[in-house]
Amino acid sequence: MSKIVILGAGISGHVAAAHLRRKLPKDHEVVVVSPNSNYQWIPSNIWVGIGRMKSEKILFPLAPLYKKKNIGFKQAKAISFFPEGDKEEQKPYVLSEYVAGDKKGQLEKVTYDYLINATGPKLNFEATEGLIPGTNKTYSVCTYTHADHAWEGLNALIQEMKKGKKAKILIGTGHAKSTCQGAAFEYILNVEHELHRHNVRDMAEITWVANEYKLGDFGMDGMLLSYGGMTMKSSEMVEMVFEDRGIKWITGAAVNKIEDGVAHYENLEGEYKTESYDFAMLIPSFSGHGFKAYDKNENDITEKLFRGFMIVDADYTVKPYEDWSVQDWPETYQNPTYKNIFAPGIAFAPPHSISKPRKSKNGTDITPAPPRTGMPSGITAKIVADNIIDSIKNGKESLNHKGSMGNMGAACIASAGFGMTKGSGVSITTFPIVPDYEKYPKTQGRQLSKTFGEIGLAGHWLKLALHYAFIYKAKMKPFWWLIPE
Amino acid sequence: MTERISKYQRFKMMNPIIQFFKFIYLSIKIMFIVAGGHGGTRKVN
Repeated sequence: MSKIVILGAGISGHVAAAHLRRKLPKDHEVVVVSPNSNYQWIPSNIWVGIGRMKSEKILFPLAPLYKKKNIGFKQAKAISFFPEGDKEEQKPYVLSEYVAGDKKGQLEKVTYDYLINATGPKLNFEATEGLIPGTNKTYSVCTYTHADHAWEGLNALIQEMKKGKKAKILIGTGHAKSTCQGAAFEYILNVEHELHRHNVRDMAEITWVANEYKLGDFGMDGMLLSYGGMTMKSSEMVEMVFEDRGIKWITGAAVNKIEDGVAHYENLEGEYKTESYDFAMLIPSFSGHGFKAYDKNENDITEKLFRGFMIVDADYTVKPYEDWSVQDWPETYQNPTYKNIFAPGIAFAPPHSISKPRKSKNGTDITPAPPRTGMPSGITAKIVADNIIDSIKNGKESLNHKGSMGNMGAACIASAGFGMTKGSGVSITTFPIVPDYEKYPKTQGRQLSKTFGEIGLAGHWLKLALHYAFIYKAKMKPFWWLIPE
Repeated sequence: MTERISKYQRFKMMNPIIQFFKFIYLSIKIMFIVAGGHGGTRKVN
């Protein structure tokens, strides 16, 4: 009998738990440790943040589902890792602290045979001075509670605009190394669309501020894509959408300080500038959770497990951008030192960024971090689960399931406005996520037949269909496993 | 505001009948790209 412990119940952790439970006999134990009591479908936070969807529609409680499916659940947060056990405990374990219920505050050594670290990112708001959701007129849509607050702030501003107030809205990234430009891109288009719906679009100046070198970089070095029978750059496509909607943009900007209604930033020219606003939604940088790890004798071995995020089978050799390769990216998400530990989704440490690194004239690194959210999170979690299942069934390590982001497709269905007849979406697919310049040298590292963009009402329907499909899947309703990650 | 998307293009983007077929087409195409397989990138000796 094996015990598999999964840290985190986001997209990655939940997908891994679901597949493990479905495919492993009941005598094997699957336990999820997460400080969150609810599962949330994060991509729909955008609609919560514009008041078009209630946060209850994008979440459900985990405990009843896990009980029904025979998955153990501890509402606790991981504190530190003991992959060799300690002097008293022979088995490897994660020291965890309960955050709710009768056991709140209690510590427990959660032992395991296999560990899946799916803790995702820490939303590192403190890396940008003054960037605190709900203060200084800045908001976030990274969680459903943040998105609820964002809608409260935006709605208050809309009411003021209806009374004649002219307003400035700033949306984008709040740090030199933020990722998830796609979420901010969706939000700015949705906010613009909602202002039209409330008949106050003329009262607002909307500005995009981001750390990306060019529009449409999305932390993936931009892309060449097919659009309407033409081949165009993602920067041209996003520029077309922004110009058409009257959205201004500032790129190559490292937001470094927020004051009440003022964002301070440095650009690649090394200039220090400010942008005032009445409402801002800025994505923070992501970081690891600062976990510590210890060996059997309680010596600190954190560097064997973590470099910010968790170390996996990537090539972490420091080399110039010109020497980067898809082979640098991990395939199995297995820790090289402790082979029973895996880190899918955002929890793994990427070997480097995907976008070309750039520094300002003052030496500030202004480079988007690589995105690993959404579909890649789900796919890598399933790969890890399948390898663990095979290893348990075969009685020896099996790593036949592989999925490098350099050989994996992803779809970004970006909502551009909510509404069954008036809504819109920008659908972008890319293959592979990490450009493979050897395989596709003439098309900027991507396969053009699988890298395309579409704009229109169908994109909104698609995003809505995915919302319902993935929540159905997450609730593990009949035949949920037929829906791909 | 600069009209970068022509009225005809906008009509096509927002016409429910055209977009219904686009929805079906996109759903299938995206399914093939995302669920159509993934793998490693390193050569196995």
